[in-house]
Amino acid sequence: MDCKKVAQDFASILEELTCNSRPIITTLTKTAEENIACAQQLVDAIERRIERCVPNQKLYAFYVLDSICKNAGSPYTIYFSRNLAKLYKRTYLLVDNQTRSSLIRLFQTWLNHNQGSMGHRLFGQEALDAIEQFLVKASSFQLKKVSPPTVPGLLREIDKLTSLTKERASQNPQDPRLNTKILVLKQLKQELQRESLAPQALQEVQSQLRKIFSQEQQILRKQQQQQQNLQKTVYQSSNPMSASPSQEPTPTPADPGVIPLFGSTSASSSFFPNASNIVPPSDSSRQADRVQKLYGSLAKEGLIKPIPQQSIVRLESVLSKNIDESLKVTLPPLHLMRDILGDVKSHFAAYGLDILKAPNLQLCQKTIIDENPAVYQLKNLLYRYKPNKCSTCGKRFGTSDDEKKRERDHLDWHFRINKRIKGTSGSNGTSVKNIQSRNWYLGDDQWQQFNDEEIVSTTRSDNEPLTLAKLDAASVDDTFNHAASGQGLAAVADVSNLAKKRVVVPETSIDMSFQCPICRDDQSAVYDDDTGEWVWLNCIESQGKYFHATCFHEAASSAPQQALHQGLERLKGLAG
Amino acid sequence: MASLPGLNGSLDQYDNDALESVELSGPHSVQLAGGSEWRVKVSNDSQMSLTVQEGIAEIFGTELAVAVSYRFQNTSFALHAVEDVVLEWTGTLVQQQIIGEKDTNALHVYNLHFALEKQRAAGSQGPRVLLVGKRASGKTSLAKTLSSYALKTRDQGPVVVNLDPQQCIYTPPGCLSATPISDLIDVQNNGWGHSTTSGATALHAKQPLVKSFGLERISRNREWYRVQLQQLATSLDARLAHDSALRRVGIVVDTPALRELGDGEDDNYDFSLIHEIVTLFHINAVVVCAPDDSLAVQLHRELPVETLTIVRLPTSSGVILNEDVQIRALQSGAIRDYFYGDPSTVLSPYAVGVECDAVTVWEPENVMSGSSEAPQARLKPVEVNASNLQHALVAISYAPRSAPPEDVVKSGILGFALILEVHDTRRRLRVLLPVPGLLPDNALILTESRYLE
Repeated sequence: MDCKKVAQDFASILEELTCNSRPIITTLTKTAEENIACAQQLVDAIERRIERCVPNQKLYAFYVLDSICKNAGSPYTIYFSRNLAKLYKRTYLLVDNQTRSSLIRLFQTWLNHNQGSMGHRLFGQEALDAIEQFLVKASSFQLKKVSPPTVPGLLREIDKLTSLTKERASQNPQDPRLNTKILVLKQLKQELQRESLAPQALQEVQSQLRKIFSQEQQILRKQQQQQQNLQKTVYQSSNPMSASPSQEPTPTPADPGVIPLFGSTSASSSFFPNASNIVPPSDSSRQADRVQKLYGSLAKEGLIKPIPQQSIVRLESVLSKNIDESLKVTLPPLHLMRDILGDVKSHFAAYGLDILKAPNLQLCQKTIIDENPAVYQLKNLLYRYKPNKCSTCGKRFGTSDDEKKRERDHLDWHFRINKRIKGTSGSNGTSVKNIQSRNWYLGDDQWQQFNDEEIVSTTRSDNEPLTLAKLDAASVDDTFNHAASGQGLAAVADVSNLAKKRVVVPETSIDMSFQCPICRDDQSAVYDDDTGEWVWLNCIESQGKYFHATCFHEAASSAPQQALHQGLERLKGLAG
Repeated sequence: MASLPGLNGSLDQYDNDALESVELSGPHSVQLAGGSEWRVKVSNDSQMSLTVQEGIAEIFGTELAVAVSYRFQNTSFALHAVEDVVLEWTGTLVQQQIIGEKDTNALHVYNLHFALEKQRAAGSQGPRVLLVGKRASGKTSLAKTLSSYALKTRDQGPVVVNLDPQQCIYTPPGCLSATPISDLIDVQNNGWGHSTTSGATALHAKQPLVKSFGLERISRNREWYRVQLQQLATSLDARLAHDSALRRVGIVVDTPALRELGDGEDDNYDFSLIHEIVTLFHINAVVVCAPDDSLAVQLHRELPVETLTIVRLPTSSGVILNEDVQIRALQSGAIRDYFYGDPSTVLSPYAVGVECDAVTVWEPENVMSGSSEAPQARLKPVEVNASNLQHALVAISYAPRSAPPEDVVKSGILGFALILEVHDTRRRLRVLLPVPGLLPDNALILTESRYLE
């Protein structure tokens, strides 16, 4: 089993240790004994558990630690020694008195534990010393606390309570009860001084006093919290970056009795952060006052400006709390974001714009010259309002279904055209290049009838006939329809016959294709099943040269006899 | 910017020093703020290619695709940055300049476009716009931009009518033409793109109606010019009569520089031809491309303002005056394009040999040819010999060879042929045809354009 898995299991069992459960502790101890190889991970798991679990469960984790060290021994003892003092101190400061005494008892067992005959201490001497010193300080008052109440001690308590009450009275002078309280306390003090009471009676007085004291403290704490909150906002607004969670008020224990009433001031202030917040209460409130004053005066001088609700500093302080490295996303390039933003902006700027309703667009000098907000909006229609830009030619398309279809057709068209321009490879490896030439211009009649859809359509198939100039138009007066008369029909019939003409590929031919000298297109051979031979379709042979039958016919028929011979001469020259 | 290695002059590129040219062609990056324009001039004997890397950039209204390389030669253009643009270019520029938004007339062009667009949206009769201005006032660029914007808005551009025989819009020089802009204009081609071919073109080809005027200057035979105008207008009317989509987008008529319409003298304009054009093409909006109002005021007096609106579009401050040398280069480039295509669309013309006796060549009367009376819209026969025809561009008419000259005048043209060679002794011609096959047995009309390969 690998350590990671062991540690995970171990940690999950630890999670269940929410009460002092002997079986769980035993299980964990056994696991630790069996997996000494994973000591480091298990130690980590326990330390984590101690650090993270709620205070009243920390003790049980310590029991686990204790059990493992006592049963398994090294190397656990060595690993735990490193952080033991720190862990112990922290835990001690967070838990209630009962747990504290349990911890102290636990510590005593460590001191008294002798490992075998060697006389070694369970943990490193340094760690144990550190804990001991700490406990000496911490328990100096705790010992006092458990000692029976004495008259001078009670008198001190009364003094403290009096001062507390007085402070409150000074804050709320209207409250008559507080003054009565001070009076009662005074009387009680005199009473104590005068008579010597039985220890039991003294205890009674003490408990009574504590009750009052705790009530008093609660009231004060509330006030202080209010002040602290105030202070915090002051802090945050003046320097939000420093408003780290550590400055939040430490959660106060539910039981007010925890507060070390009677400890020496030094002990209470150095070891009990809670106590330092509360006793003496006047201190912190005065500090808050001072900070408030300082802030007020700085603000008056204009040295501090209040931070507006929407500011980068505030945003930063909110965001910095939530920054998680794993959630960090690498943003797309700036220009892409700008494009998206621009498209969206344009869409909303131009949405529902109606040019007919746009003001100041009558064609006149003023319209041309003046800057016009309507035109500024309308401009979007020319650009980003149609967000889909063809990457080949820059033509823009909108987002409606119709536009999307047009875009698809357009892209298909680009694809087909590019293929034709690059030339396609024939079946026998010869490439068919896009050899083309200028068309004749259309005559006036033809042009008048022409529809540009024929040239700009992207869905048109290549087989559909194109309007070509009519070379044989005898006279411009001829109507368009008349020109395509019988002669044209005959030509069509001829052409279909011509296309059937074929030549068997001669044995002398090196490759299986021939190039027509007229159109310069390569024609590759096809296998004819009927004759069982390779043939060139639409081909005729003339004086050893091979031509497309249609090309040859076209060239020959569009010229008078004499010109035909000239043309053939020329063609032969070309082919040769 | 003048210290950039690419700008030391175009001649450098023809240095045989290899190192020099490597340095010249290194990619340069240009960043343009939204609204600004990058104006460049590329000479005839060098090339420049540019790639938009990000942002929206357009050249005379035609938006460029991102990360696609565009190649330019012998041209001047303004690249308008609709939004912030980053582009990269290589090659050689004669000059370049970045113009801030305030110094362009883009605002006014947009205003004009949407004013026209409102008319298109309002009714079935689109605006019929006439662009008027002096030489190099940005008329043709404006025609291009307006057509492109209309195309963007409604997938059908207007019919662009070119009445300037020196301009080559989908035609060789010497022509008047009417071309429905049904798809993108080719920004790389100085003649706006290709007329139809027998094969595949990277962009949709256009189908222009072409009239061959054939003379360089209108003043050499105004009557002949007027006949061509009338024929063009008549056919255009017929086309629009049954093409409702085109009718709705309307027409944009680009005219020659004002002085060309007169007798060729500056500042003493003859508005009679403008008047005739307005009537023939049923113009209802005249856009005057001029830096100030004086020309517009003059036109207000001359034209029937009851039936049309005259507005002035401020001239863009960076319009580059095409010198005669550059115009010549553009014209011979257009002839080459007609027969051989351009780098993106290579065409295969076809050379044939013809007996001198087998051709009939006409030419329009010409004020240069010495006759004292004003030239009429008449054709006169041309003797087929080397001095008349060598390297000449001839229009092939629809009229048969035997047709009387009056019929030839009325007929349309099939296209052009280039006389490569005239053998006076052997009485033979070598003719370059755009279309493979024989020289059609039709009447030929000589033009003043000459092209030597």
